Amino acid sequence: MRILRRPHSLPPFFLLLALGAFAQDTIKVGEVASLTGKEASFGQSSHKGTLLAIEHLNTAGGVLGKKFDLVTEDNQSKAGESATAARKLLSRDKVVALLGEVASSRSLEIAPVAQAAKIPMISPASTNSTVTETGSYIFRVCFIDPFQGTVMAKFALKRGWKKVATLISVSSAYSVGLGKYFKETYTTGGGALAAERTYVESDKDFKAQLTAIKAAGVDAIFVPGYYNECALISKQARELGLTVPLFGGDGWESTALLEIGGTAVEGVFFSTHYSSEDAAPAVQAFVQAFKTRWNGETPDAMAALGYDSALVLADAMKRAGTADAVKLRDALAATKDFPGVTGKTSIDAQRNATKAAAIFTVKNGKFAFVESIAP
Amino acid sequence: MTEFLQQLVNGLALGAIYALIALGYTMVYGILRFINFAHSEVFMVGALIAWKLGQYLPHSTLWGGLVALVAAMTGCAVLGVTIERLVYRPLRGTATLNVLITAIGVSLLLQSVLQHPAVFGATPQPFPELFPVINFTLGGLTASSSQLVVIVVAALLIVVLQLVAFRTRMGRAMRAIALNPAAAQLVGVNINVVISFTFALGSALAGAGGVLYALNYPSVEPLMGVMPGLKAFVAAVLGGIGSIPGAALGGLILGTVETLAGGSAALSTYKDAIAFAVLIIILLCRPAGLLGRPVAEKV
Amino acid sequence: MLTVTNLSVAYGAINALDGVSFVVPAGGIVTLIGGNGAGKTTSLRAISGLLRSRGGTITFEGQDITRLPPHEIVARGLSHVPEGRMVFANLTVAENLSMGAWLVRDRAVIAQRQVHVLKLFPRLAERLRQTAGTLSGGEQQMLAVGRALMGGPKFLMLDEPSLGLAPRLVGELFEKITTINRTEGVTVLLVEQNARLALAVSSYAHVLECGRIVMSGPSTELASDPRLKAAYLGG
Ligand SMILES: Nc1ncnc2c1ncn2[C@@H]1O[C@H](COP(=O)(O)OP(=O)(O)O)[C@@H](O)[C@H]1O
Ligand SMILES: [Mg+2]
Repeated sequence: MRILRRPHSLPPFFLLLALGAFAQDTIKVGEVASLTGKEASFGQSSHKGTLLAIEHLNTAGGVLGKKFDLVTEDNQSKAGESATAARKLLSRDKVVALLGEVASSRSLEIAPVAQAAKIPMISPASTNSTVTETGSYIFRVCFIDPFQGTVMAKFALKRGWKKVATLISVSSAYSVGLGKYFKETYTTGGGALAAERTYVESDKDFKAQLTAIKAAGVDAIFVPGYYNECALISKQARELGLTVPLFGGDGWESTALLEIGGTAVEGVFFSTHYSSEDAAPAVQAFVQAFKTRWNGETPDAMAALGYDSALVLADAMKRAGTADAVKLRDALAATKDFPGVTGKTSIDAQRNATKAAAIFTVKNGKFAFVESIAP
Repeated sequence: MTEFLQQLVNGLALGAIYALIALGYTMVYGILRFINFAHSEVFMVGALIAWKLGQYLPHSTLWGGLVALVAAMTGCAVLGVTIERLVYRPLRGTATLNVLITAIGVSLLLQSVLQHPAVFGATPQPFPELFPVINFTLGGLTASSSQLVVIVVAALLIVVLQLVAFRTRMGRAMRAIALNPAAAQLVGVNINVVISFTFALGSALAGAGGVLYALNYPSVEPLMGVMPGLKAFVAAVLGGIGSIPGAALGGLILGTVETLAGGSAALSTYKDAIAFAVLIIILLCRPAGLLGRPVAEKV
Repeated sequence: MLTVTNLSVAYGAINALDGVSFVVPAGGIVTLIGGNGAGKTTSLRAISGLLRSRGGTITFEGQDITRLPPHEIVARGLSHVPEGRMVFANLTVAENLSMGAWLVRDRAVIAQRQVHVLKLFPRLAERLRQTAGTLSGGEQQMLAVGRALMGGPKFLMLDEPSLGLAPRLVGELFEKITTINRTEGVTVLLVEQNARLALAVSSYAHVLECGRIVMSGPSTELASDPRLKAAYLGG
């Protein structure tokens, strides 16, 4: 018996060794996304983009001779879940970097966790300026609210809208941020804010606010919200006989907007990060690859930003020559003119990306590119 | 002035939905003296049934809309009766607190079951336009057909309910039980049948409320019942819980106050808080609610 | 007519009735007397189905009614006028009476019974449109009995009908009870704390103490029993 015991105990030991070797051969990257819940459409898009990028990187051999392993946690679009998800990824999976979230409110939950652990975090699409102010390890690959608010103010002035109303979600950092910078640029540019109304996240009825806005007699309404409520707002505005254009930020961009809003969202305008109709070869290659990978689905801005967030991370890792957090952080901060699918990305001193914005409208039930506005 | 009238129209449409849900709270309370917290989830299920049927029914037709409405009401009636039969009846006669907590449990259970991806999932889904959509304008006032449908259907159902309560044998039985359950049983009223009937009726109204709510705010998900349910509960208490006209009045007041607050620049952020403040003020002045009778605790 | 065998009822851990047995023969007035908290109300509530018994059986006209719901027991002709009267306070006197005929479908029968009840209690006739909650205690008690009679019972259980009534009214009420028993052949089970009165109108009596029958016998005998005199008849 005694003699027999030794050989028997060997296989599990080898298995452990093999597992350990396997673990060392991949670089674990964490992702927090709203795969279900209210903003699932955003989370799904960015996740599909991120996963595609990881697959592309792995097919190309990975970086530093290792392949990437993407570990994704769903926060169900709920407040309070993202920090827990991030902690889980850091302590359980020991990820070298965190990707996510789309919504600024939820990125603001993850950022302090990443900063405290000194692990780099890249938000693909959170545009609220405070996200990266959390600390030196927090980055993003999209432009920020001041820019988006400013762009939409310039757009409104350019269209000759002299009197505009705003309808802002006070429970959303994103909405408040866009509203603030829109107001600054629009009023200094000579526009008049005729009515300012607010709502909160759980609201479904906006007729009260819209009736007041209608009474103020405006040329257009700035609604920097997310697609669900924007679709309802558009519908209710049309029902009240408000025919002026509604416009907002990238929160509008989701096919769910078209499904819920129907004909009521025809003629709305919003700013976003990229256009799938961009003729640039890099963009078209990405669009084709995405369609092949995800059942013919056309990638939206969230998908493209999700894709770029993983590529920017891999690029920095390559330049740093290591996945070590401090060096990785420095390399990320030094990103300059990285050719992503959402345009040339440079990281500025505040760890934000500077890049051009695209304006879209809804025409015949589809998103249509209007113009591009440079920083 | 036009703006004010328009806000009243908006408030009426919103309040009509609160009223429909509030009726269910009030009827069950009247008879069993407990708040059926699962009622808001019955409301949600009503909307989801119509959503599901919307995948098969033609859109923008009167009959398609009515089929969905009746089906949702029937489905909710069955759900309400089932919840009472399986959960509340075995607990009848135990402490009210037990039943209340169980009701909250049923509520959470329904939410989580429906949030399961195999059932509905947590993602909001667009609700189809089941009824024809027309906008009516009258001297600067506009009302959409879905707002009018809400007001008309709610008014109709409230009248029907009042007729049921005061003109039918079942209605007399309901009122008798509300007044004194033991005495009602001693004259031969079958309390189980009446309670089942009450749940069926209240749940059917909640189902109708769910469909009408979704028509006006066409995005549905398993948590959609929480806020309207809470508001309707407030409306029921405001009007005097146990009173049918009270529930209707409470709903209309709440809808109007909320809409007027929502339309003002200074108050729109606080419209929910204002709605609750109105409740507190009314209860301070009339503890039994606007149309409620002060109930002496039964011996 | 009614046979209660070994009836036990508990409220949670407290035993209110502990093996109570008694018989009420058809046609008579039997009384159940006992002090406050003895278990009189509990007995009646268990018989009429409002309370679930823990053990024992109740038979009515030879049939087991132990587990029947209240509405089925009423339908068999066993009517219970509860303690505290329990009239429908917000309904009118007329509505209360018609509620009493809940299980009667024939309108002619209902009308006939109402005439009859109003003849028995003329005071109610004057107050038909008045809400029951505004009646005096005596009137409410008459209404409660009248409501029970509307169902056309064979057997009437009355729980402390004299409670809170002026002595003159008590006498009047007990006269009516005797009339109901004599002229209509309704068997009566009368629960009373007022033992003297109960023994005077009844033919047979049971004494309940702490959930047990401690004494039984013809009312005339019990009325002169020294132990009973000491405990219930004020010496
Ligand atoms: N609902 C109840 N819960 C708990 N105990 C009760 C309840 N009703 C009566 N009891 C108890 O049961 C016993 C018998 O009560 P009851 O039948 O009302 O007496 P009686 O009618 O003879 O005055 C008493 O001890 C009383 O305290
Ligand atoms: Mg008693």
